[in-house]
Amino acid sequence: MSKKSSVILTRGAYAQPGSSLSFRTGTWRVERPVHVHHAAPCHAACPAGEDIQGWIALMQEGNSRAAWEGLVTANPLPAVTGRVCPHPCETACNRGGFDEAIGVHHLERYLGDMAIREGWDYPVPPLRAGGASIAVVGAGPAGLSASYHLRRLGYRVELFDDRPEAGGLLRAAIPMTRLPRSVLDAELERLLMPGINLHSHRRLGRDVSIQELQEDHAALFLGPGIHRPKPWSVDGAIPSDMEDALHLLKGWVDHGDVPKPKSVAIHGGGNTALDLARVMKRAGVSDVCVITASGLPGDAAADDVMHVVPRELDEAQEEGVVLYPHYTVQRLLMHGSKLVGIEIVRLKKLVGADGARHRVPFEGTERVLDVDMVVPAIGEAVDAEGMEALLEHADYLRGDVWGRLLGRDGVWVGGDARGDRGTVAAAVGDGTRAAIDIDRVLRDEPAPDAGAADLETIPLQAMNLHYYEHAARVPVQKVAVSERTDLTEIEGSMDAGQARAEAGRCLACGNCLACDNCWTLCPDSAVLKTVERATDGSHYLFDYDYCKGCGICAEECPPGFIRMVPEA
Amino acid sequence: MAVPETESMQDLRQRQPRFSGLESGHRACQGCGQALAARLVTEAAGPDVMIANATGCLEVFTTAWPQSAWRVPWMHSVFENAAAIAAGMEAALKVQGRQSKVLAFGGDGGTFDIGFQALSGMLERNHNVLYVCFDNEAYMNTGIQRSSSTPHAAMTTTSPPGKRRMGKRHLKKDLLSIISAHHIPYAASSSVAYPADIRRKVRRAMAIEGPTFLMIHSPCPLGWGHEGALTIEVARLAVQTGLFPVIELERGTLTDCMPIRELHPVTEYLKLQQRFRHLFAPDDPRATEELEHLQALADYNIDTYGLRGERPDPLDTEGADTVHRGGKVS
Repeated sequence: MSKKSSVILTRGAYAQPGSSLSFRTGTWRVERPVHVHHAAPCHAACPAGEDIQGWIALMQEGNSRAAWEGLVTANPLPAVTGRVCPHPCETACNRGGFDEAIGVHHLERYLGDMAIREGWDYPVPPLRAGGASIAVVGAGPAGLSASYHLRRLGYRVELFDDRPEAGGLLRAAIPMTRLPRSVLDAELERLLMPGINLHSHRRLGRDVSIQELQEDHAALFLGPGIHRPKPWSVDGAIPSDMEDALHLLKGWVDHGDVPKPKSVAIHGGGNTALDLARVMKRAGVSDVCVITASGLPGDAAADDVMHVVPRELDEAQEEGVVLYPHYTVQRLLMHGSKLVGIEIVRLKKLVGADGARHRVPFEGTERVLDVDMVVPAIGEAVDAEGMEALLEHADYLRGDVWGRLLGRDGVWVGGDARGDRGTVAAAVGDGTRAAIDIDRVLRDEPAPDAGAADLETIPLQAMNLHYYEHAARVPVQKVAVSERTDLTEIEGSMDAGQARAEAGRCLACGNCLACDNCWTLCPDSAVLKTVERATDGSHYLFDYDYCKGCGICAEECPPGFIRMVPEA
Repeated sequence: MAVPETESMQDLRQRQPRFSGLESGHRACQGCGQALAARLVTEAAGPDVMIANATGCLEVFTTAWPQSAWRVPWMHSVFENAAAIAAGMEAALKVQGRQSKVLAFGGDGGTFDIGFQALSGMLERNHNVLYVCFDNEAYMNTGIQRSSSTPHAAMTTTSPPGKRRMGKRHLKKDLLSIISAHHIPYAASSSVAYPADIRRKVRRAMAIEGPTFLMIHSPCPLGWGHEGALTIEVARLAVQTGLFPVIELERGTLTDCMPIRELHPVTEYLKLQQRFRHLFAPDDPRATEELEHLQALADYNIDTYGLRGERPDPLDTEGADTVHRGGKVS
């Protein structure tokens, strides 16, 4: 009670303001709210390991530079992957179940291009004095990623490649309509920073040997890529003038020329097949078809779908490329050694008696296509030159989850050479993991039991969708079919307003959106807002002295970041 | 801002970036809609207010003597005279030449029924008071007895369902129309599910010189029979079904409403609450009839107040609480 004489107490009672704070209602609680971080589905799906939700959050805050720096802690090639990646992040995006997935690749490209324009330096620490040097073979995505991450960890990198410039397959075979070389050059120019020394025109087997590299360096990373076409024939028949797709594509990139038959069938279900089909169509080949045993996205099981960038498939069809999904080439119709047509048959991947999935052709579905050229695009294997002892006649270099080459200490492998990768992002991820593991081995730290543990993701059903507004994906300009050339990029960029709007659509799955719902809706004022003191990526602390455990905060948390757990 | 690791939670509480007239440590049940609504009102009204509080849960759970959860001058008298007390406080302040706004708080029992006469007088005498009614649709403090705000067919201890009746026989009183008929400058309804709407309406009422009235739909987990965690969900469905229209009336004229973008059937709202469980008894034609009756009442509201949204609106039932990184825009 107040002792001031000016306060006249009549009948009734008088209490000090806010004195209820001495009564701790937290003792009533049987369940307590806790912040539980889940990986967003985009994060878990990214082969390069990007925390996409994390860098989009920084974009939402208007901090593009911090967003880019967050992005490149995983993937140093955003301007490239923003253009060429098949973006499994967008396929996994929870927003796809709400309205339309976030255009992650547009945002990644926007940040990559902005970094180029602004000349942002990669956030790497200074070179460690007396630090070990690591040899990296292959300046493609895997080797570049390994080099960059090793450099981030303080190592000096000697990078070897047999071509005159870095870039690997990105430079050698991806059409300029998808990846302008000016973009690739600008990204690589900054990536090849002091401490990463590129030795071009140095070919494994001819100019350097595995043994030398191992002797001169603390560790060796191999990212040689795949350059040897897999043998292709139909019951032993091969047209005399046959050339494989990657070879044709590389030739076209180098000197702008492709064969121009009247009609061509390209056999394969990857980007190489699709890229070549579009190049040949644009070069004037009137009938171009792609025959693939895989299905179209959305129309086939996940392990039976074409390995292509989905929008490229739409563009190819717009341009007049005809697709035969779930077909294979069963017979070549030859006139002497010259091809006059092919017989194709419908097939599908089905579970057989042995429990495994096999491709089963269906009798009676055969049809003949009148084509005068067939181009295999069924994939390549590692070119063994210089690596005979490591390959032992196998097609690929096999590594463990960290990329350690099986059966050979001190050597790591990543990228397409592993045989089961096939995307730039996967190669980038390989480079990252190998760099972390090399660092660990050189520091004599034990390897973790398993590889990268699967990230636990949050399903859309665990979120409170009421608090989000429906909003269509921000549309981006494309060059019209009639105006497409061999050199101009087809898909346009987002401007700052578009990027901001698209980033604003992110649901922040499994992470704190800092939306204030818990702070606003707690009937007991037991959620305290603090940007400075919250250490779990949120902006809030629970005050368990007063929280009664009603669960409103968990129920109304839009991204599902709050869970109720029983009191101990 | 550098903050020492040693800062206590109490210190952190003292520097929250909002004013809160109602502190923690109050004894409201888990998930209490009224506790939340009262705090939201004080948050928007600001520190320079005085409150007259009718008897009811709010009075009981905030002031277990010798403690008080209030951080603004607050006075309790009895059940029926919160409006009269508020009128007296306002008159006294006026004589002293002070500007503090007077708020009167009451539940539906203290507003629709017991304090109605005093409320009508306060409005008629044109006092500069904002009267806030926290509507939880029964006398919850005394043990869930029906009030004139209890909706039709709801179960309370004095309107039990049985052979003769399916819960409350009578209808929820249309108090807002009666209040509005006093020709006061501003009378509105809001819901605890829409904090931004509450804040906006409190600010609007605070800016008006004269009597204003705000009714806030505030679920009672105990009295309605739902999990405390579902308070917001239940309140939101009351609005989304049309059973609780969120409207604004100025000088007796309907001037605005919160349009319903995605209309929900009343059963979605009712089935979450034990007070309506008899309406879901299998094979009881009376239950079906009452469900249809409640749907018809919702449809009547939707027609009468024009609640059906024609196109998405940032202030409709879906847009009004949309979240943004870094907090809501309110």
